[in-house]
Amino acid sequence: MTAREVVELIKKNQGIPWNDRSTRDTFKVGNPDAAVKGIATTMMTSFDMLKRANAAGLNMVITHEDTYWNDRDDTNELTDNPLYKLKTDFVLKNDMVVWRDHDHMHAMTPDYTVVGELRSAGIKGGEHTTMRPGILTIPETTLGELAAQVKRSSGARAIRCVGDPKAKVSKVLVGPGYATPRIGPEVDVVIGGEQQEADGGFDNVEYVLDAVSLGMPKGIIMLGHVISEQAGMEDFGNWLRTFIHDVPIQFVPAEEPYW
Amino acid sequence: MKRTHISRRDFVVLTGTAVAVAPGLAGAETLTAEAVLRRIRTELGSEWPSTGPDGLKAGDPSTVVKGIATTAMATLDVLKQAVRENTNLVLTYEPTFYSRADGRAPAAPAPGRGPAGLSTDDPVAKAKRDYIEKNRLVIFRLRDHWQSRKENDMVTGLAAALGWSAHRVKSTDTVYELPKATAEATVALIRSKLNLRAGLRAVGDRKATIRRVLLFPGSMTPTIMWQRYTEVDMIVAGEVREWENTHYAADMFAAGEKRALVTTGRVASEEPGMRLCAEWLKSVVKEVPAKWIGVGDPYWRPTA
Repeated sequence: MTAREVVELIKKNQGIPWNDRSTRDTFKVGNPDAAVKGIATTMMTSFDMLKRANAAGLNMVITHEDTYWNDRDDTNELTDNPLYKLKTDFVLKNDMVVWRDHDHMHAMTPDYTVVGELRSAGIKGGEHTTMRPGILTIPETTLGELAAQVKRSSGARAIRCVGDPKAKVSKVLVGPGYATPRIGPEVDVVIGGEQQEADGGFDNVEYVLDAVSLGMPKGIIMLGHVISEQAGMEDFGNWLRTFIHDVPIQFVPAEEPYW
Repeated sequence: MKRTHISRRDFVVLTGTAVAVAPGLAGAETLTAEAVLRRIRTELGSEWPSTGPDGLKAGDPSTVVKGIATTAMATLDVLKQAVRENTNLVLTYEPTFYSRADGRAPAAPAPGRGPAGLSTDDPVAKAKRDYIEKNRLVIFRLRDHWQSRKENDMVTGLAAALGWSAHRVKSTDTVYELPKATAEATVALIRSKLNLRAGLRAVGDRKATIRRVLLFPGSMTPTIMWQRYTEVDMIVAGEVREWENTHYAADMFAAGEKRALVTTGRVASEEPGMRLCAEWLKSVVKEVPAKWIGVGDPYWRPTA
């Protein structure tokens, strides 16, 4: 079975029309016609992750995020970059091949990144969620207790929270990765991966700081991009096993990058 | 003294043209926000296009200025402090109304990021507008033009806050050569000098010996990261995207490179530069006091 054949099976099973114009969901490096010995699913093709996948005998990497440190995996500015050469050579030397599934994963039902994020956050009932689960009502708690639960449950070391830890919260909006949802009057807490802090499409941080100043119960919990979408790649691997039986499939987590 | 009311639209047109007013022309009693802003514009000297984020965000430009507050971000707490400090013209580096559009009609929503724009009856925005109106504050965003000064105050301010001013290698660049210390010790110093909590995050080799540091307040793109990371032992930036620059620093670490990337938080990295702005204003607008008001690190981390 070749990597290209694996991708064809995924396209057939993902249940949505394939968008060939996606700059994200393409082969990134390696030979698509290489024979697949094993598949590693991961949130991000970090160099560390590639080494672990190779050591486990998995030569096809299916990644949710980029390989070359920019969203489009545009390598024009990187051809003379030593780290680019090192990482690329590692993949080629070990007959590995990297393919990304991002846009189509988010368009799929369920969106496994959000399924995994809700599980990581310890919020029940997200097994069949789409990318936008809508407002979820959880038993009333404080922002501080919810943040502590999310930290324990997800293991996120570099979790960042904004808002009054004593604020009473129950209406939660969750989004994966950089798609941290915007907060507003109907929502108490948003949970996401990361977000531009200010001067963006909507600046949650300033809004929550102002809400706190007005005594309104609002909060943000940011897990980090990797942690927010990590668990879903294990679910994605489980899903692959329902139609790929010839090669081993293993979830190989990307490392949380922060100290 | 009674003044003709200048509408917001007229004001924009006025400041969009090359009208120069000599500093000190207006007396203290009649020093309006409009006059102060025109003087700032003349002093900064750069082109003042009508596009871009800078400009009046709230308040009446004919308001007589009692004092000027500068800040990295005009949060409601900052505005309350500005009122307590008896200042009524607020110069902010970041938006006031929760987006680059700053309360104007939003652009089309980006996919996956939820609905865009701010509803006119949003209770938080409404309360902020009411507070501004009640206290007769004038809010002006001063970002691109403050940044255009050749002195590069956002960098020199951050360096001064870190105690590194004397260590700058070249005035045309933002690399600092420090006495040797481990990455961990350097991070501890940054945390303590900038009074940071969970907003500070570090990636890379914590045992690396740090001597050369590149300072980059605000938001750093991948291209700059790729070009400059191996020139130095550490980059200190405001914010980066995790799946781009952070991922690059993590891969460098996996490749055995003894370097580190530190992000302080975007606003935290911009606070010292706006503190310098207040100092600069003291030499440009002598009639009224100018004060810097800090935002503080907005982030915390649960201990459990």
